[in-house]
Amino acid sequence: MLATLLVFLLCFSPAVIAAEKVKIGALFPFSGPLALLGQETFNGAVIAADMVNEKGGLWGKKIEWVKGDGVDPKKAMTECERLISVEGMKLIFGTYSSSRSYAASEVTERNKVIYWEEGAIADPITERGFKYLFRTCPRASQFGIMAVDFAKEVVAPKLGIDPKQMKIAIMFEDSLYGTTVGSNAAQHALKQGMKVVVTDSYSHKTVDLSPVVMRFKAQEPDVIIATSYLEDGLLFWRQAKEANLNVKAFIGTGACHGMPDWAKTFAEEADYIFNIDPAIGINPDVLSPKTKAVLKEFQDKFNKKFGHIPATHASLGFVGAQVLFEEVLPKAGKLDPEAIREAALTVDIPKGGTIFGFGVKFAPPVHPAAGQNLLAQPALMQWQKQEMWVVYPAEFGVKKPLIPLPTWEQRAKGETSFIQ
Amino acid sequence: MIATLMQLIINGLLLGGIYALISIGLTLIFGVVEIINFAHGEFLMLSMYASFWLFQLYGVDPYLSLFMVIPAFFVIGWATQRIIIQPIIHAPPLNQIFATVGVSLVLQNAALFFWKADYRTVRTVYSTLSLKTGGLMISFPRLVAFVLALGIVAALLIFLKRTYTGKAIRALAQEKRAAMLMGIDIYRIYKVAFGIGIACVGAAGAILIPIYYAFPTVGGLFVLIAFVVVILGGYNSLVGALIGGLIIGVVEAFSGFFLSPHLKEAVYFVIFILILLLRPAGLFGRA
Repeated sequence: MLATLLVFLLCFSPAVIAAEKVKIGALFPFSGPLALLGQETFNGAVIAADMVNEKGGLWGKKIEWVKGDGVDPKKAMTECERLISVEGMKLIFGTYSSSRSYAASEVTERNKVIYWEEGAIADPITERGFKYLFRTCPRASQFGIMAVDFAKEVVAPKLGIDPKQMKIAIMFEDSLYGTTVGSNAAQHALKQGMKVVVTDSYSHKTVDLSPVVMRFKAQEPDVIIATSYLEDGLLFWRQAKEANLNVKAFIGTGACHGMPDWAKTFAEEADYIFNIDPAIGINPDVLSPKTKAVLKEFQDKFNKKFGHIPATHASLGFVGAQVLFEEVLPKAGKLDPEAIREAALTVDIPKGGTIFGFGVKFAPPVHPAAGQNLLAQPALMQWQKQEMWVVYPAEFGVKKPLIPLPTWEQRAKGETSFIQ
Repeated sequence: MIATLMQLIINGLLLGGIYALISIGLTLIFGVVEIINFAHGEFLMLSMYASFWLFQLYGVDPYLSLFMVIPAFFVIGWATQRIIIQPIIHAPPLNQIFATVGVSLVLQNAALFFWKADYRTVRTVYSTLSLKTGGLMISFPRLVAFVLALGIVAALLIFLKRTYTGKAIRALAQEKRAAMLMGIDIYRIYKVAFGIGIACVGAAGAILIPIYYAFPTVGGLFVLIAFVVVILGGYNSLVGALIGGLIIGVVEAFSGFFLSPHLKEAVYFVIFILILLLRPAGLFGRA
C-alpha cells in the first residue's frame, strides 16, 4: 500500500508504475446539505468507469476512484489539497456545486493538476484562463438566456402577448449558481427590451419564502424564472399555493425543478412547470447510433446497480467521466497533466455524440472561456403527468409545450387537461 | 396597501409562532440548567424524523403523534441530562459547549448515515390548506403551530406557578444554593427541566413536519433563530420566548417584503446585536 503510494508520488510516467490501478480523485459533496445530488452525480461517473473497466480498463489497468468529501467550499479545498499531496492524484473529477468547484479548482491549477468539471454550471469557473481545468457541461448563462428566449419565442406568442409587454419575475438563490443564472437571465431580458418587474434573491437555507411570494403577487408577473436548490424550490411552490400566486409560465433552471423529488412532493401540482437542464430524453434522431447504444447501456447498468433510472445529474457525471475515460485519457497515454491537457484540446465530438445531444470541443487557453466545452447546451423540458419531456429547442423536442399554467383554483377543481 | 400590511402581519405572526415553539424549550434549559444547548436543533431534527416515520410507516397523523412524541422526548431529555450533561455540570463553560456541540455533530451524522440526505416531508390533506377570510390567506398548518405555541406556553406557565415541581424549577433558576438549602433535589430538577425542554422541541418537530422538510442538517437552520429569540426575549422567560419569536417573525416578514428577501435574516441579526448592546437581559429577562 505504502509502496504503491510512493511509486505514484515519485513517478510521472505511468508506463513505469508497477501499480495495477489508474487512480482518479473524485471530489463531491458526499455529506451535508448537497449530499443527495453529489452522490447521485458521482454514481453516474462510477458507471462510466465500470463500463471502461469491463472492456479491459484504461491502458490495461482498472480505474479506481479516490474520494474527497467537498461538504462545503472550504472543505472542498482542503480535501483537494489532501488528494493531491497525500494521495498523489494527478486528476480530480468533480463537483456538482459551483461554489465548491470554483474553490477547489484554484488548488488544482496552482499544483498543475487536472480539474475535470462535469456539472457545476457557473460561468466564472471557466473565466479564469486556467490551463488545467476542463468542463463538459453547459454554463449557467446559457440556462438564464434560454429561459428568456423561450419566454419570448414560445410563451408570449402562445399567450397572445407582445414579448416587450410581458412581465417577468426572476428569483434565485444567492450562491454562485443561482446568482449567475438569475443575473444573466435579467440582463438578457433587459437587452431584449422585455419587462423584468422584480428580481429577488434569497438564501437557499431560509425557512420562509413568503416575502418573495408576496412581492411577486404585488407585481402580477406573467412568467417566473426561478433558480432554486431543492428545499427552497419546494418551499416556494408550497407557499405560492398557500398565497394563491398564479402565473402563466414557470421556468426552472436546473436543480430543484428537474429533480424527481419535485414530482414526488407535488404529484399533479408539479405538472406544467418548465425546467432547463442538459436533457436526457431528447429527440433520439439527434443522437448518433453509437450514442444511442451507449445511452441504453448506461441506463440499464445504472438501474441495475442503483435501483432507479438515471436522471440529469447522474447523466452529467456519466458524460463527464465518459469523455474523460474514452476520448481524452486514451489519447493522453498516461496520467500526466500536460499530456491530458493536450489530448483534451484535440477532442472534437460532433452534435449527437453525447447522450445529451451536444458535442464536445474545449476552448483553447487563449479563449475567454478557456477549458469550456463550447458545444454544450441545455434543453428545456416540461413536467407532464409527472414525467419530464423535452419541448424546446424544436429539433430536440419530443412533445409540444403546454401553456398557460393552470391556476391553483383550476388545479383544485381538477380542470387541467393534457391536450396534445 | 392595507391588505398587504395585514397579510404581512399575519405571515409574520404565524412564522413567529414557529420560532417561538422552538425557542420555548431552549429558554427553559438555558435558564434552569444554565447550559447552552447547541444540540437543540438536532433534537428538533430527530422529532421531525420521528413524526415522519410514524406517518410513513404507521399512518399516524403528525398532530396525533404529539401524544407519543412529547413523552418520548421528555425521556430522551431526561436521559441526555443524566448521561451527558450531569457529569460536566460543574465543568468550565467551554467544556459544556464542546459537549453539546459534540452531541449535535453525532446526531447530525447519525441521521445522515441512517436516513441519508433526502428531504422528507409529510403530505396530509391540510399541508397546503389555506383559510381565506376577507382577502387574507392564513396557512392552516402554520395557524396550528401558532395556536399550539400559545397553548404550550400557557400550560407551562400554569405548571411552573401551581405545581410543586414547577415551583422547584423556578426556585432553582432563581438561586441554586438557596434551593439546595430548602431541600430541593437539584439534580432531579435538572433532569425534569431538561426533559421538559426537549419535550417542547419534540412537540415543535411534530408540528413542523407538515410545513417544512426533515433532513439531517435542518436543525442548524432553526437553532440560530432560536438563539436570537431567546436572547431577545430574555433567557428563562417563557413569555419572552413567545413574544420574542413573534417579534422576529413579524420583523422578518416586513423586512423581507419592503427591503429585500435577501436581507431579511440580516435584519434580525442586527436586532440581536442591538439587544446585546442596549438591553442584554432581553425584553422580559431579569437584569
